[in-house]
Amino acid sequence: MTRTPLIRRPDVIAVLSCLAVLTLGATLMAEAGLISTSFVKTLGKTLCLCLAAVAMDLVWGYTGILSLGHMAFFGIGGYAIGMWLMRARTEDVVAAQLAQRPLPPTPAEVDQAAATQIFGVVGSDTFPWMWVFADMLWVQLLAVVLVPGLLALVFGWLAFRSRVTGVYLSILTQAGTLALSLWLFQNDSGLRGNNGLSGLQNIPGLTHVPQSTLSLWFLWASAAALGGFYVLARWTVAARFGSALRAIRDDEARLRFLGYDVEGFKLVVFTGTSMACGVAGALYYPQAGIVNPAEIAPIASIYLAVWVAIGGRGHLWGAILGAAAVSLLSSWFTGGGAPDIDLGVYVIRWTDWWLVLLGLGFVAVTLLAPQGLAGLVLRLARRRPEAPARTLEAARAEPGE
Amino acid sequence: MTLILRLALALMLLGPGPVLAQDLQPALQAEAERVERASRRHVEEVLETLAANGSPNLQPFLEAWQDKGVVRAEDGLFYYGQREGDVWALTDIDSGAEAGTVDRRAARQLKPNAGVRGVIAAALVQFQLSDPRPGARRAALASLERDPDAALLPALRASIEDEPDPAIRALKTDLERRLTARFGEDPAARIAAIDRLGASVQDRAVLSRILATDRIVAEGGAAPEGAIVAGPSDLDEAERLALLVEAGLAPAPVTRMARDMALTVAITDGMVAGRPVATLESEAARWEAYEALAAGGAARPRPAEAAIAEALASHAVLDIYREADAGVIAAAEAASAAQSARLARHGAVDLGLDALSLASIYFLAAIGLAVTFGVMGVINMAHGEFIMIGAYTGYVVQTIIPDYTLSLIVALPLAFCTAGLAGVALERLVIRHLMHRPLETLLATFGISVALQQIAKNVFGTQARPLTSPDWLAGSWIISDAISISWIRVAIFVLALVFLAAIVALLRRTRLGLEVRAVTQNPGMAASMGIDPGRIGMLTFGLGSGIAGVAGVAIGLYAQVTSEMGAGYIVQSFMTVVVGGVGSVFGTLAGAGLIGGLQKGIEWLNPSNTLAAQTFMILFIIAFIQIRPRGIVPQKGRFAQ
Repeated sequence: MTRTPLIRRPDVIAVLSCLAVLTLGATLMAEAGLISTSFVKTLGKTLCLCLAAVAMDLVWGYTGILSLGHMAFFGIGGYAIGMWLMRARTEDVVAAQLAQRPLPPTPAEVDQAAATQIFGVVGSDTFPWMWVFADMLWVQLLAVVLVPGLLALVFGWLAFRSRVTGVYLSILTQAGTLALSLWLFQNDSGLRGNNGLSGLQNIPGLTHVPQSTLSLWFLWASAAALGGFYVLARWTVAARFGSALRAIRDDEARLRFLGYDVEGFKLVVFTGTSMACGVAGALYYPQAGIVNPAEIAPIASIYLAVWVAIGGRGHLWGAILGAAAVSLLSSWFTGGGAPDIDLGVYVIRWTDWWLVLLGLGFVAVTLLAPQGLAGLVLRLARRRPEAPARTLEAARAEPGE
Repeated sequence: MTLILRLALALMLLGPGPVLAQDLQPALQAEAERVERASRRHVEEVLETLAANGSPNLQPFLEAWQDKGVVRAEDGLFYYGQREGDVWALTDIDSGAEAGTVDRRAARQLKPNAGVRGVIAAALVQFQLSDPRPGARRAALASLERDPDAALLPALRASIEDEPDPAIRALKTDLERRLTARFGEDPAARIAAIDRLGASVQDRAVLSRILATDRIVAEGGAAPEGAIVAGPSDLDEAERLALLVEAGLAPAPVTRMARDMALTVAITDGMVAGRPVATLESEAARWEAYEALAAGGAARPRPAEAAIAEALASHAVLDIYREADAGVIAAAEAASAAQSARLARHGAVDLGLDALSLASIYFLAAIGLAVTFGVMGVINMAHGEFIMIGAYTGYVVQTIIPDYTLSLIVALPLAFCTAGLAGVALERLVIRHLMHRPLETLLATFGISVALQQIAKNVFGTQARPLTSPDWLAGSWIISDAISISWIRVAIFVLALVFLAAIVALLRRTRLGLEVRAVTQNPGMAASMGIDPGRIGMLTFGLGSGIAGVAGVAIGLYAQVTSEMGAGYIVQSFMTVVVGGVGSVFGTLAGAGLIGGLQKGIEWLNPSNTLAAQTFMILFIIAFIQIRPRGIVPQKGRFAQ
């Protein structure tokens, strides 16, 4: 492989310039009033999902670990930042209310009133232990990366150490995700049960900035995060480290016999991508405004895998393409943007039938186009698509081995 | 009250002999005013007088009085009155003869108030205990149970002997034992009755009545003379202090709210006690300001902490028994402990049954998956939707065939066929083409699962559809007051056993089973022996999916049928299969038993929180897979590593 400087690789140039065009274009159009604030938020959220998809592609497309839990890390990132957003904002509001009283409020009174405001819905009036540092932004920002990272580290260490691979690992990650979401669903989890954290679109200290401006800031931040992570990921997979990852995907045992620390590599990828998902979630949920346990349910993580598969595994830009295409199409169809089809006897409403289309379309992609959208793009670009990865499974499929 | 009942009882025991047969009317006339305008205060006295008269007509009179069926005519005499339009039809109280009719204004109806009626009802109980009508006797027993009265104990005892109905006699004996335990004459008799108390709710209530305690503040920490201490109360310091303050034994502390009120009231020109209001933003500053206020006499001074501590130290809050006899208390404590132990044992059995029924549901849901996963090595994420297809099949059959039993008989095989065909179609169209790409199979079947769920939602709507069980499956099998299990769960258990036997027989005793096992262990070798692995795979997939369909009918019977019902079982089913060991029927059984037992066990430890139970169960399973990555019964063959 010839060493082209990273920044001159065509896909890096393409992704970065697309992001630049998108953010600049969106900014100009929003300022001109051509697109609404909610559309800017949708774009920003989509970029965050693309970031998670790139992480998923690293862990699945390159390393072959089908994690069905990466959206849980995404949700944890959202919860971590949401705790600060909600607590700091509620304390501001409550302090303003208490200032109306004849006596100036004590810090304990403000705390108690804020806790009642936040946890009244689950019948509590004190902050749970995990909220102790929630009024310090830097602690919660650290938590955005450290909590997913730590969880992934412990889970991955346990799973990889006992050589849990393939579908077993998928089921295990799915079970872990289910456990997390069920735990969050309880009222006494300390995170408001199924109410989740809400009002996250209001940034404490920036209440004077209108949402239309804030949404653009978040769009830029999301684009910067995606661009930065893309370059980082591209650099990683182009280096020797990336070769080791692909080798793990193709034949883990052979690599282990060659003396590589397979578990170490897997752990680094699993943990690193979980942190990236945490960051993506922390950027996503202030734009969405609310995070609740349903967002962490296993199905969300399966959808993440679906996006990557549709986009094309093993191509980082394919993951971006898949995530952006499916999530934008999804909001177009479910938002009522697609016209209904009148068959005479039955009217197909896309709000009802979109999921059927998505499910069957996904089966079709898996069956007919294992390379996904990326393969299609490469073919259109009149380049021979890279030979499909000769995985261990594919090798097994061939008779005589 | 007691006296009158004793009197009445004496009369009743003597029987309705002619010697005592007297007219009631004179006695009524003697108390005419107080009968007519009966009040709660006097009515017992009146009843006593009437009873002293000894007339056999007292019971019917009391019943009529209670039902507002007595009138007083203009001549001052009492009659049974029946309102007929504008007139009263009168009946003589003593002779029972018709006494003509009078205008409705010529007689005044007796309308005893609720309090009076209660007294009359209690007085009637003793008559009713020996009433010839069994219904009245049962009602009297129920009334006595509700409102136990020591005075009626002799009447009850006396009525047991002549009781003709064995069931009512048993009721009476039970009630006599309970009343004796609470109100018996001497401690020995009470202890004997306590020892004979059973496990029924009423018997346990008697025990808790005997063991009832009062909470008192004991000066110097010693209980008052004669009181038996149950133990120190479990209150914390603040609660004890509140009790002491209430009893006037300790100075009341100044609460934060009272302090803030006093401070707010004392604000003048932005200053409180010489301090600017703005400085009062901490607890310490507020207390300081308050003490300054108190020093100036503008607020109640805070009591010294030493005084409060002294009061707390010198007084104890004790729970003392209302019962005065130590022997009775000891016997009741022992009986209560024995009952608790028995309840705990029965609770454990009940928990075991619950766990068993949950395990059989998990087994039914997972066994189909175990077959397909074990033989084909594919993860079928749409397995839950086959469960859903089976349940909706049952629902559709039930809308066509109204007879629940018949529709169930039709639905079970039909659900097997529908889900099985869907499985075969899935195998032929999708899974066959993804052979040996397990991760992609997982995702493709997930796509199928999403599509099937949404189609079901579009066809049947989002609301839950009922799958009604036939009458013979309704209700519960009640083994004791702590052990019961609904018949549907028993039926699911039986169904799980049937499927276990059928699948084991199929795999071990039939040609198909032999071929399936051969393909599982070595498909290449099996193919060279003339077995078509493709055909076997398709049949196996159809079988596994069909079983899921039957499981769907079973699950739909006790839960409701929704488009998402399968999704709720899919993760559990996977865990059951993985924990048990892929490809082994008995492994799946063990996995289902482990997961069902575990879930119920954790729920028992923390009954209020089933979500937490599921969380801990999943964490346990993750830990379990660390220890035995290949499950309880590890697989040998193609996929074993």
